[in-house]
Amino acid sequence: MEKLKYVGQSSVRIDGKEKVSGAALFTDDLEFGPDLLYAEIVEGPHAHAMINSIDTSEAENIPEVLCVVTGKDFPYNFGLYMKDRFIFAQDRVRFFGEQIAAVVARTPEAAKKAAKLVRVNYSPLPKVLSPVDAVKKDADLIHPDLKHYEHVPWFFPKPDSNIAHHRKIRKGDVEKGFAEADYVLDDTYEVPRYAHCAIEYHAAVAKYDHSGRLTVWASSQSPHTQRNLFASALAPMGITHNDVRVIAPHVGGGFGSKAGVTMEIIAAAIATKVKGHPVKVLWNREREFYNTYQRLGVTANLKVGVKKDGRITALHHELYWDAGAYVEYGANVVNAVGLSAIGPYRVDNASIDSYCVYTNLPPGGPYRGFGYSEFLFGLESHMERIARHLGIDPVEIRRRNAIKAGDLTAYGARMNPNGLQQAIDAVEKEIRWEKKLVSKDPDIAIGKGFSLFWKAPAMPPNTSSSCFLKFNEDASVNLLVSGMDIGQGFLTVMAQIAAEVLSVPVFKIRTENPDTDRNPYEWQTVASHVTWGCGNAVKLAAVDARNQILALVSRTHYFPVETLFLEDEQVKCMTRPDFSLPLKDFVIAGIQMEDGTFKGGPIIGRGVFMPEYASTKANPETSQGGHPNVHYTVGAAAAIIEIDRRTGKVKVKKIVEAVDCGKAINPDLVKGQITGGILQGISTVLYEEMKFDHRAKMLNPNFTDYKIPTSLDLPDEVVPIIIEVPEPDGPYGARGMGEHTMIPVAPMIANAIEDALGIRIRSMPITSEKICLAILDRQKND
Amino acid sequence: MKKISFSLNGEQRFVYITPNEILLDVLRYKMGTKSPKCGCDTGDCGACTILLNGKAVRSCLIFAVEVESQDIVTLEGISRDGLTPLQKALIEHNAFQCGYCAPGMILSATELINSNPHPGEEEIKEAISGNLCRCTGYQPVIDAIKHATKKH
Amino acid sequence: MALPYEFDYAKPASLQDVLVLLAEKGRGARILAGGTDLANELKQGFRVPDVLIDIKGLAELQKIEIRDQRLSIGALVTFSDIRLSGVIRDHAYVLYEAAGLVASPGVRNRATMVGNICSAVACMDSASPLLVHNAMVHCLSMEGERLVPVQKWFVDNRKTLIKEKELVTHVSIPLSSVKCAGAYQKMMRYTGEDLAAANVGVLLFADGRCHVAFGSVGPTPKRSAKLESHFKTKGVNKGSIEEACAMLPGIIKPISDVRASKEYRMHMTKVMLERAVIQAIDRLKVPTLIRG
Repeated sequence: MEKLKYVGQSSVRIDGKEKVSGAALFTDDLEFGPDLLYAEIVEGPHAHAMINSIDTSEAENIPEVLCVVTGKDFPYNFGLYMKDRFIFAQDRVRFFGEQIAAVVARTPEAAKKAAKLVRVNYSPLPKVLSPVDAVKKDADLIHPDLKHYEHVPWFFPKPDSNIAHHRKIRKGDVEKGFAEADYVLDDTYEVPRYAHCAIEYHAAVAKYDHSGRLTVWASSQSPHTQRNLFASALAPMGITHNDVRVIAPHVGGGFGSKAGVTMEIIAAAIATKVKGHPVKVLWNREREFYNTYQRLGVTANLKVGVKKDGRITALHHELYWDAGAYVEYGANVVNAVGLSAIGPYRVDNASIDSYCVYTNLPPGGPYRGFGYSEFLFGLESHMERIARHLGIDPVEIRRRNAIKAGDLTAYGARMNPNGLQQAIDAVEKEIRWEKKLVSKDPDIAIGKGFSLFWKAPAMPPNTSSSCFLKFNEDASVNLLVSGMDIGQGFLTVMAQIAAEVLSVPVFKIRTENPDTDRNPYEWQTVASHVTWGCGNAVKLAAVDARNQILALVSRTHYFPVETLFLEDEQVKCMTRPDFSLPLKDFVIAGIQMEDGTFKGGPIIGRGVFMPEYASTKANPETSQGGHPNVHYTVGAAAAIIEIDRRTGKVKVKKIVEAVDCGKAINPDLVKGQITGGILQGISTVLYEEMKFDHRAKMLNPNFTDYKIPTSLDLPDEVVPIIIEVPEPDGPYGARGMGEHTMIPVAPMIANAIEDALGIRIRSMPITSEKICLAILDRQKND
Repeated sequence: MKKISFSLNGEQRFVYITPNEILLDVLRYKMGTKSPKCGCDTGDCGACTILLNGKAVRSCLIFAVEVESQDIVTLEGISRDGLTPLQKALIEHNAFQCGYCAPGMILSATELINSNPHPGEEEIKEAISGNLCRCTGYQPVIDAIKHATKKH
Repeated sequence: MALPYEFDYAKPASLQDVLVLLAEKGRGARILAGGTDLANELKQGFRVPDVLIDIKGLAELQKIEIRDQRLSIGALVTFSDIRLSGVIRDHAYVLYEAAGLVASPGVRNRATMVGNICSAVACMDSASPLLVHNAMVHCLSMEGERLVPVQKWFVDNRKTLIKEKELVTHVSIPLSSVKCAGAYQKMMRYTGEDLAAANVGVLLFADGRCHVAFGSVGPTPKRSAKLESHFKTKGVNKGSIEEACAMLPGIIKPISDVRASKEYRMHMTKVMLERAVIQAIDRLKVPTLIRG
């Protein structure tokens, strides 16, 4: 194995100093001068209604208002995977709070005042709030034009219905599998919607200058995708990709909410109406909840058949996703789960029906875990229940069924090398699974729960990453990439990869969040794929630069190139131990020859990575035949909890989580993802709960009543375990793990609750109230 | 418009405001002090925390007019003379991820350390309990504060 | 950005000036102390005044002191001040305990207890403690001081007996000549900052009296005479506590809202009542302490 100096080290973050000193600037921290304009959004107060008329005249008369724009100004569709969205509502609103219009003014006060004076006349329509209702035959249609929407070729909308996509898996013989089963468990699980709750709001500032240049500064996970969607949505106005520039400052948390395009397009569009001025659109906490993406809700019917020894003979998973009013991104969550809802198990006979269903609730979209937390809540609850029924140890049943490298996935491709068995063993040992714990306090019940997890990056097969790498005079390096550091430590990890190849210390490598004019293409920072995808591009760029360096020195010093190597910022030669040439002597200036001429010139590397084996071409009736997922990252986790039997309050005592990240480029950052992801997972299962009133208006769009954990709500102990079974095409064997860390938490806690109380709760969240009322209910029935 | 003056990060500053202006907005948009952030505007998240006469407070719940003749310190003021041992420990522990909550968190911890140089873990958790962080799970932040304040 | 409403601001240098201004402005004036509730209310456009009267210039309102066998807590005393006050810990322990559960330290550094009972939001933390401590609210106007027992202070959610032109200068609590101990229990969705979905304050005296108050289970926080006489007749013991819990459905009227269902509130109030009384019994056993 090659000896690594920078990769595998827990380097401190290269953005650490900026962030603890207050130097880090986020979008709303940027200054745009006295010509800055402010936009305020007008929202619809109906979950579903036709818009009869919009009267902006009163608003336009408010002093300092420049203009009021509505859907009429921008009759364009847009969307990432399916063009079903509009910049402003056109003839109807489809969720409570949808944007109808925007007022642009010199001051935020004037904009706000005028926005209240935009008069809209509506005719309310019946609203559809659950996916189960929405698929009924007589359900009202939310998108009558569904059949006309453009979409990616791997989506299968059902015209004249509320089903925007149906991902179907048919593998083996499911009927036969169930017939062979000794035990079949069939049940339904409910997972509601959740909010990302990044602490920074969405923010975008756009300027369309008099030369026709559109620049957008945005808090973004996806600068290039935003550029692409802005350019294609605004193409009818004559705007091209070349005209659009997206600049992404620091991002105060994403978790999926700042992927794709949501409110940013409002800024981009408005700017075209106030040429020459920068215009700011700043979301607020309420809108963060109801008008960005929400995590999709799901009702999952799950049927699993097993032999007496616990081996799975068949699985049928039917998922009805509450995808909300627009599914341009959320439909791909549905698709991803459709491909993977067998979980990390070997299942020879499987059928999956994953339905993307329109509802009159806020648009569902990407959220850390991309649907896997949701379906694994049911599946991992199910596995525990089956084990208990059969009298098999819940860890053992997982070990027996765990997928191995080379096994066939649900869509018939081969599973990648992975450390799932090692993860199970490591977690079982660390949590002391066999040891039953009993509290001395009769009010306290103790339980243990286990869960496996897996997740693949969900992305188009031609997703790509690229990198430019340039040396400076002192042999420091600028790494230009377009992945976003949204907190996960992406930039640090990229610097470590380049450092390794070039023998340049991490602190001498500067890499910052991108500007699409300067930095090369990256699809998006989502799907936990950038360490792998962009990491490959960075490594290739660094190798390219290294090859140039070695070729140059070979040419000037007449050493065979294969004898040259880099060490400690110098070129060295295997056959000439006395030779060394510092990089700083020539990476810009070149190398001077005896005749006084110079050879070489600035060293600039380039790297491009695309997984050329991926394909979504498959039989739509079975999903067999393609290779839609590049690889899965797997792992295992377990928890010990205490429950107050009187109040239902859960205290998490210990969580152990093992994740196979292939290679931990920076172990400390991997552990940081585990610690943070686990708490986010705990929060979704125990605390967070979105509430809507009869109008489908969200009742708790604030941190007062949508509770995310504080420092007083931590588990007593978290033990992160890193497993490293290398990914064959990952940089140094690495694969992504950022989202995965929260995925096992909900079922694991539900399992621990059952272990403690003997009560199985099949719907999230599992709040103190829900547990307590279940205990009381049982007492009543006893 | 009313002229108010106060000490901001050790410098005497003045600004013209109306009584309906919130301190957070005045600091950010009129005085160029960008480290206090807005994350909820209702006092729940703590991202706007500043030190007012040494006490960590929510600048989103204070009218600018109230700080006439008072003393305000933001993260810019903490960093002015180089990084503090707390800030250094936070870097060493990779304590923050996105960093948006960092300014508020650091000021809450600074108030704690000023009044209690060697706090216990529970005191640390209590002190930062009003600063919401969605990324880190808090433990790395707590570990860093513990490290910066342990007895030598 | 500025709030979309305009108002004036005054920071009088003397109590007299505050009263004069209050007399002049009447309902158009709002008192600004910590401002944590006020700023949020004004952001929502709730009770927007013509003038904010900032009382933070009045040093006399910052005091925590014992005068004439009464513990007096001034209108500028914050919840952080309460947590740092040995006098309050020793003489009004229920309040001391509750203060530590108000919001988070950054809010407690600014929010005042008097502000809390003047905003009078049903879920406030100060009310149950003040009720069991038999506190008195001191209202001052040009016409002189008016005393309102805290039992009568709360009229409805966000509504108190304060009159136009009055300022609450302080709250006073009688020192108990009888040894006593208390406890505060708060129903929260998790350990971190939360508004009380219900709360219980208990103050148990060595002579057998037991004061009990509930918050957030009706439009106003309330003492329960029924429970108190129950404890008086039956004594405070396991059996009487159990009976007290069984009586609760006739005493409190919780509602269902975004924070909890009425069923869970009812159940939790029983659990909290039981736990608070048992805590108070245990605390009363501590030898030397007289803790209100």
